[in-house]
Amino acid sequence: MALQTAAGLENLAVFTYETALRFPFIGGSSANDVVKAFATKTMAQHVEHGVAFNAAATKLGGKTQNATDPKYAPVVQAAAGKIKDPLDVVGLAITLEDIAAQTYVKNVGLVSTPDLRALFASVAGVESQHRAILLAVQALLEGGAPQLIAVPPDLARLPGAAGNVGFPDAFLPTAMAAPVTQGAVR
Amino acid sequence: MSRTPHRELSQMAVGERELDSMTCELDEMHRQTFPGVHKMLGEFGANLAQTGRRSTGRRRFLTGMGGAVVLGGVAACTSSKSKRGASIPAPISGSSGGKYVGDLKVVALAAALENLAVTVYQGGLVKAAKGQLGTVPPALASFITTAMGQHRDHATAWNGVLTKAGKSAISGAPLTITQDHIALLNAARSVPDLARLALALENAAAETYTFAAGTVTDAGAIMTAATIQPVETMHAAILSFVLGQYPVPVSFIGTSNAVAPSALTA
Repeated sequence: MALQTAAGLENLAVFTYETALRFPFIGGSSANDVVKAFATKTMAQHVEHGVAFNAAATKLGGKTQNATDPKYAPVVQAAAGKIKDPLDVVGLAITLEDIAAQTYVKNVGLVSTPDLRALFASVAGVESQHRAILLAVQALLEGGAPQLIAVPPDLARLPGAAGNVGFPDAFLPTAMAAPVTQGAVR
Repeated sequence: MSRTPHRELSQMAVGERELDSMTCELDEMHRQTFPGVHKMLGEFGANLAQTGRRSTGRRRFLTGMGGAVVLGGVAACTSSKSKRGASIPAPISGSSGGKYVGDLKVVALAAALENLAVTVYQGGLVKAAKGQLGTVPPALASFITTAMGQHRDHATAWNGVLTKAGKSAISGAPLTITQDHIALLNAARSVPDLARLALALENAAAETYTFAAGTVTDAGAIMTAATIQPVETMHAAILSFVLGQYPVPVSFIGTSNAVAPSALTA
């Protein structure tokens, strides 16, 4: 069930980035190239995660989860309808990445085999990286400095906040973790 | 989905005074936030006290791995000006408590890696204050102070596990790889030099904890590794961005660059 729930979260993340990329300020003509590339690559990484979780589920004799997470999908749908600017998209993505990372960290302690623990840990680290970059992007957007979202960055002009806003906790919390049964295939 | 408060964009370079101030603020923040960590470790240590008495015939933890990962140097973090002018101290210390076995060896390795990270960042601050890295951008200064503090928390956490299990805490970085990293730290002449060294360290720590999460048997140890590993990956992402590299280069955190327990010399 934990694997199916994880796959559902990944499917929702893919849906979210796919939706985001349809907005001109994320994936269109007015988009920042770095943000567009990040959204595209991140979506692809979530596809890989979903495939991995579903493969692990079927290896254990379970069914694949091809739907989006039942609890958060309506929330994303509602939020998507209200998106007006890049900050709205970034905020939504941060929340989803955070939920996924916390869920997988908690699952590391719940699943029964070394391989599954390693899989959840492996993916949790990547979702956390997505979140770290999104938090930095959010800070730059809120600071009115979208021009500083660039690779390579103009280091001399990056504000101090860009250096540490991406990792607010010394230990990743798990309070937002989704229950293992949340996305189970019935 | 909340937004962070608006942040003023400072574009000033960082000098010694700012570095001092940032370090002091960080210390205060850690003093305020650490009780929760100690609570978690109380439960963790109780479990590992039993683990340490089990058979030493531990199997495959990181066996076969090269352990040739390039990391950093050592020294306890301090904001004391009396130490600012000193050269980067040799970090190889260890413990007086004898050998670590089983999961406790992994815990000791983790503590040593965290100490190594603290030393690299502390050494970076010292070099920055002495002007040996050129101008340090504000974003780098804030990264270093925050990451260093988090690594110090991690080291304290791992060492708390050891002491609760009746073992000595790890001081310094008693690792076979330490001297090489001190040399790299001492050789750093620019912010990118330091960032590259730190990135290698963060990636190695993250991979070591990924492997640990799948391999150690104690529930508390598993969760400690699981909750620290993402923080190291976040550090790595920001460092990659700073270096102009793609910040999330892989879809799965691997283990091929994990540091082997055999690298521990304590």
